[in-house]
Amino acid sequence: MDIHPSYSALASVVERYPAHGGALFQTYNDLKLAQQWRDVEVKDLGQVCKRGGIQGRRPKTAADADSLLHVVPCALAESISMVWLKDVFEALGNPSSIYLAVVSDDSSIVYYKLSSGIVKPSI
Amino acid sequence: MDSRKIPIRVANGRAYIWDVDDLQTIRSEHRLCGLLVGTLPHLSQQNLFLGIPSQLMPEEAALLVEKEYAVFVDDASAYRGATLSEFNAWNAEQREYIKHQQLVLEQEHANKKPPEVAQKVMSEEAIRKRKEREMKRQKKAAELQETEAEVPNANEEKVVEAEAPESSNAFPTTYNISIAAPSSSVPWYDPSNSTYSSISSAKAAGIWDFPSDLQDRARYGVFKDLWEQGYFMGGGIRFGGDYLVYPGDPLRYHSHFCATVISSPTQRIQPMEIVAHGRLGTATKKTHLFCTWDDEKGTVDYLSIEWAGFG
Repeated sequence: MDIHPSYSALASVVERYPAHGGALFQTYNDLKLAQQWRDVEVKDLGQVCKRGGIQGRRPKTAADADSLLHVVPCALAESISMVWLKDVFEALGNPSSIYLAVVSDDSSIVYYKLSSGIVKPSI
Repeated sequence: MDSRKIPIRVANGRAYIWDVDDLQTIRSEHRLCGLLVGTLPHLSQQNLFLGIPSQLMPEEAALLVEKEYAVFVDDASAYRGATLSEFNAWNAEQREYIKHQQLVLEQEHANKKPPEVAQKVMSEEAIRKRKEREMKRQKKAAELQETEAEVPNANEEKVVEAEAPESSNAFPTTYNISIAAPSSSVPWYDPSNSTYSSISSAKAAGIWDFPSDLQDRARYGVFKDLWEQGYFMGGGIRFGGDYLVYPGDPLRYHSHFCATVISSPTQRIQPMEIVAHGRLGTATKKTHLFCTWDDEKGTVDYLSIEWAGFG
């Protein structure tokens, strides 16, 4: 992990929260390299959440390409709670929605959009 | 609207509505649907079309009573037992009613004409057959007059006989006689001592126990909160949740949401649950709702889950 070209951008957060370093590393690379997101940045979510989050924008060709999206990685084997999710929303500045990246051991990642409140499905 | 409270009949801790007018009131005025669970007498071998009673979800029943639209009635203890004279009077009335129905049906049958055949397809054969039918009909009419003459004197044995196979072959040998199902109009039905107008009094009487624990309180809290926002709720079994949430009457609207009740903000959730609910919801054009009950504050928090559209 530490000889990968993208590691320098992650190093400080990964070293601070080593338990969640793998999920963060995989998600960061997937968003930046596979999903072609732009302006991808790692953000320290602070002492309550104890992990790193990711912010970035979708590729230029995507719908609503310029909005800043928030991603929080978690491992498939973790268990989370609504309190935890609330803290994550707060650490990211209470956006209307965040993306939860669920990372499995074989590095496959799925993203789910979590919105606070009752939000109708988008067609 | 009258101020009469809807009786919710409780049997074995389950809540039933037996009156279709009450069902209509509950649905149109109180935005609750219930679930028809009664089989139809004529279609008892199927489960697609069901009739009364309607079984209410515990949440629905508790809400109706809490909002003072309805009362719990412990139906089993509402019958004091008939006196002999009451029973005899009731029995005589039933027999009279059955006889009356039978008479009406016989007359209806006799007056029914065979369908007219269009003139242009009348072949000689058809004319011949028609004459034969005409003969038969006259014969029937004659027999009918005889039978009718007997009816006023018919005793109850006659009622039974009408269904027996040896009766005249010109008549159908059986009739569908309807028997009034509600037992709430019998003189020995008196629910006044087994009616409970609050959840706590029904609980004290031992006929009702919802909501009884944290899980129940969470379900009830979420249900009530969604209801107060104007949503209709149905059972969520088809989509793996606790409720399906409709923006209006389910007969008119598709549901937009499938809701899962989470009984505490600290309850552990596996990410796989989010994946499973999110993916199914997206495939069925529904957002999955995680509805988190906070038992200390008595509030509900909602989180909407959708597949992100990538990855």
